[in-house]
Amino acid sequence: MNKITRRDLIKLFGAGALSTGLMGASSLAFAKQSAHIVIVGGGVGGAASAKYMRLLNPDVRITIVEPEPKYIFCPGSNEVVAGFDTLETLTVDYNTLKSRYAVNVIQDRATEIDYANKKLKLAKGDVLSYDKLIVSPGPDFKYGAVEGYSKQLAEGDFPAAWHAGPQTLTLRDQINALPQGGTVLISSPVDPYRCPPAPYERASFVANKLKETNPTAKVIILDSKDDFIFHDVYLDYWKKEHGLGTADARIEWVPKKAGGHVTKLDTKNRTLTTADGQVHKGDVINIIPPEMAGSFVRMNGLAKGDWAPFNSQDFSTKRDKDVYIIGDSAAADPMPKTGYIASNQAKVVTKAIQAELTGKEIGTPFITNNCVAMAADDWGMTVAETFRYAGNHHAYEESYVMSDPTENPYYRHIRAEVAKNWQRTFRKDIFS
Amino acid sequence: MLQAPASFAISGGITAEENDKLRSEYPMPSGDMLGDNCSACHGTKGAEFNEAMPPLAGMDKAKFIKLMKDYRANKFPSIVMHDVAHVFSDQEIEAMADFFAKQKPEEWTRPDWNASIKANTKENSHE
Ligand SMILES: Cc1cc2nc3c(=O)[nH]c(=O)nc-3n(C[C@H](O)[C@H](O)[C@H](O)COP(=O)(O)OP(=O)(O)OC[C@H]3O[C@@H](n4cnc5c(N)ncnc54)[C@H](O)[C@@H]3O)c2cc1C
Repeated sequence: MNKITRRDLIKLFGAGALSTGLMGASSLAFAKQSAHIVIVGGGVGGAASAKYMRLLNPDVRITIVEPEPKYIFCPGSNEVVAGFDTLETLTVDYNTLKSRYAVNVIQDRATEIDYANKKLKLAKGDVLSYDKLIVSPGPDFKYGAVEGYSKQLAEGDFPAAWHAGPQTLTLRDQINALPQGGTVLISSPVDPYRCPPAPYERASFVANKLKETNPTAKVIILDSKDDFIFHDVYLDYWKKEHGLGTADARIEWVPKKAGGHVTKLDTKNRTLTTADGQVHKGDVINIIPPEMAGSFVRMNGLAKGDWAPFNSQDFSTKRDKDVYIIGDSAAADPMPKTGYIASNQAKVVTKAIQAELTGKEIGTPFITNNCVAMAADDWGMTVAETFRYAGNHHAYEESYVMSDPTENPYYRHIRAEVAKNWQRTFRKDIFS
Repeated sequence: MLQAPASFAISGGITAEENDKLRSEYPMPSGDMLGDNCSACHGTKGAEFNEAMPPLAGMDKAKFIKLMKDYRANKFPSIVMHDVAHVFSDQEIEAMADFFAKQKPEEWTRPDWNASIKANTKENSHE
């Protein structure tokens, strides 16, 4: 190997010269040797990193490590549960990233970071050298938070369906097969989890479907929280469309303070028990478990508690400056865990890496999350959030405006159209 | 400034003054940094067209600035753009206008990457 590595350069010139970009010549040499940007995870954060890195730099080598041959978008997967969209629409492959953006995609699982030698080990035995490593493996689920629940059950008769795929279809089929007058239980987790409005969107879509096919059936949301985003809009919708608060309400929301926090699953009797001992029987039981950073993040010492902290200016990890963490695994509060955020974090990281490679200063980061959710096909809602940089060792500062319940049907309708448009544009922005 | 209509009443986070203060403490985010935040809705480099979200790539600079300032001032009812625009300074709006004005109003292509990378890299090396 005759390649000059960054480590060699540091030995020769010192880390300071390199990181401050004073060494114009050495930075150039680094770029000429085609720095290798390796990315763990080909989901929203990882794929956006690959594409946006390429938009900035035609010469770097970019490798994504991803175990799955295709990626299924979670945005839109509630529509699949309710039967008005298909998984196929949400499924993309890596062909465009490979051919159009010259990204090397290795179908494997990353296992271990050798920080000292800047190498990444993969499950099948390959070892990759990296100059920069971007980590975006999404979250893992804490199945154990609900006694009696497990990964096996989630993959079987008790789908969580919080990562779009086979479980999404199982849940859809179970709802289609619900006996007349049956009950669907949805357990909504503690914060933070991916896509804060999605459990309530799911409950609304399911109730809408049941209204047509099974009008005496019921959806009960057992919540581990007392509040959630778009609370007022959803409650307004449920009152107007599903008789919330009346004796034959099609939808019920049980907040934590009313005993909604689920602690136990009994698979035999198909019941959920909550913290205050209430027992709910469900024909369909959809437990959305609490989350934590993906196992790759935790096993490699990048997490502190459940999530991985980072330097705010460039999302480099606290553990190692050349390893970056983005997406749902990052401790990015007050940023919510959304694909929109993951993709914009990717843009901050790639711009920072490009600045380093070209000996420029890393600029001030800026992140938005303009999220859309629906209660029904013509009942949309939006939240526009911006996150401003407030210093490298501080959290970003948030500012937001969000939809209120409105009596104006045009607003609701156009917001729903915006939501549908967004899903299509977003998929293209990341994978096309 | 006009009041937001009732349907957009819920807002929060830092105040306009705190927002200004943060802006004054750090260099302004670049036009690329600000503009790339728009791509999830408006497409890569603002070049996606669909029914609800118009393309921004190649938009006349003055037109972009006027629109954003009107959105910011809530001069007419909009679905999300007032909510998005309300936090940006004049300078930031101008930087975004420059960024989009210089983008080609067509989908982004760069077909010669493979060649460019090959010229710089040993064949087949993961290293
Ligand atoms: C029902 C639902 C609806 C949603 N709707 C929206 C929405 O409308 N808008 C929005 O912005 N967001 C939405 N989201 C959230 C969005 O899907 C996530 O925030 C986003 O996918 C996070 O990106 P990520 O890169 O962190 O993780 P992911 O997109 O999950 O990608 C992680 C990838 O890493 C791979 N991986 C894991 N471990 C390894 C390893 N060791 N080695 C290599 N690869 C690995 C996985 O296979 C996966 O492909 C929704 C989520 C759900 C569940």
